[in-house]
Amino acid sequence: MKTLVWAEVVKLAKQSKTYYALGAVFLIECLIFITAYYQGSTILDVLLDSLKQSFYFEGTLLNGNLILYIVLNGLWFNVPLIIMIITSGILTDEYKDGTIQTTLLQAVNKGSFIGAKYIVAVGFTLFIITFMLLSSSALAYSIFGKGDLVVYLQTLNFFPAADAFRRICWAFASGAVAMLFYSVVSVTLAVWIKEAAKTWIAAALFLIITNLLLKLDLGITIANHFFFPKLMDTWQAFFYNEIDWSSVWINNAVLLGYGVLLTSIGVWAFRKQDIG
Amino acid sequence: MKKLLVMGLLLLSYAGRAQEVDADLMKVKKRLDTVQQFTATVVLDLDVPFIRMPTKTAQMHYEKGKQTRFSSEDFVMLPKRGLDFSFDELFKYPFITVDRGTEMRNGQSLKIVNVIPTDKRAELALATLYLDVKNRRIMQSEINTRKEGSYTLSMHYTKPNDILPDYVEATFAVERLKIPFNFMGKDTKIDRQQMKAQDKKTGVIKIRIKEYRIYE
Repeated sequence: MKTLVWAEVVKLAKQSKTYYALGAVFLIECLIFITAYYQGSTILDVLLDSLKQSFYFEGTLLNGNLILYIVLNGLWFNVPLIIMIITSGILTDEYKDGTIQTTLLQAVNKGSFIGAKYIVAVGFTLFIITFMLLSSSALAYSIFGKGDLVVYLQTLNFFPAADAFRRICWAFASGAVAMLFYSVVSVTLAVWIKEAAKTWIAAALFLIITNLLLKLDLGITIANHFFFPKLMDTWQAFFYNEIDWSSVWINNAVLLGYGVLLTSIGVWAFRKQDIG
Repeated sequence: MKKLLVMGLLLLSYAGRAQEVDADLMKVKKRLDTVQQFTATVVLDLDVPFIRMPTKTAQMHYEKGKQTRFSSEDFVMLPKRGLDFSFDELFKYPFITVDRGTEMRNGQSLKIVNVIPTDKRAELALATLYLDVKNRRIMQSEINTRKEGSYTLSMHYTKPNDILPDYVEATFAVERLKIPFNFMGKDTKIDRQQMKAQDKKTGVIKIRIKEYRIYE
């Protein structure tokens, strides 16, 4: 298994697609940074406008933490698409090149083979999220500096700089769980669809539908809480004044549960499939 | 309307009797006038229903006749009214006073005096001051401004001879937030009735003042 995982890592590291993905994530970050700077001033104007009659303000809120919060809001649609393209490619490329037959004709267990693909997909996703956190934090703080974060979620919440960064890190960690879910979905889709382009379309469709369902009231309390699209923005919980930790842990555990279920289905389907 | 009626009656009583400025208030003013400049560290706790802000610390710089300045490494929100501990604004223009008797507050007998600035340039319309005559200082005040609503100040002093307070509670009205929907978080629910009810709210800022450096 170790050898299989290592082989997958080497393949991923050698393909140019991986570096295009990293470049794309960085480019998206830069674009969001530019819009976040202008959006940030507008947001602050709007948020603080009605308070200007009663208060005056000392210090600035247009800082790295606000920019990072805006970046967080903008990343969770674009980045999963890139992750899904790369992670589905881990399997669809094997189908396209015919290397899957070559590998499985040797003494390689089908379960271990697909298991290694899922493990590498998960590892790659975590790598991308870590890259995003490090690169966006470095850019945000070096350009805009540190300072208090203001967020409007039912109330106007102010967080001191250190607390804001801690919350942003947790939000990235929670967002990573959502990204892991998308990456295992894409590998599972690749198991069935096999063709790269068709898998990308299916993955993009899945992403769009999930985002549409996120806002939809399903009318059933349990579905509104635990249906997977509803769990995708658990990261926002870190920007309420009091963090509802139990809800954060439960939501992420349920989402991981969905991921494990889809992985199991994918592994089962792959083992059943005739590779010839 | 009520306030206008009170002010009208007060002005009529003034016109009829050509009242003098309250002597006890003048003693307090004279004492406050000795403070030419001070700096202090202020610890601010903002209590507004729709704002969650942690405790903040700032430096306060006061110089007689100048706008009080605040500086802080953090972002701080300071009420536009209620931080004038020396009552410069109130005594800036000529005024008349009306003695409203005494009242027991927090186990202390306080003299109540209405102060009405007579100059049109004054931003304050009417102030009700609660005086600690013995220690020559202001304990509480209810102030009505011409344009920026009303606010009340409640002051606490550590020692009997302190001129400036070490704790102040300022109560003021705050307009509710008007935030366009596209800036609201994904989880934000719109409760129209609650929003209407929140049209104006009362905010309180609790200020602990320490490390005074007073220059007389």
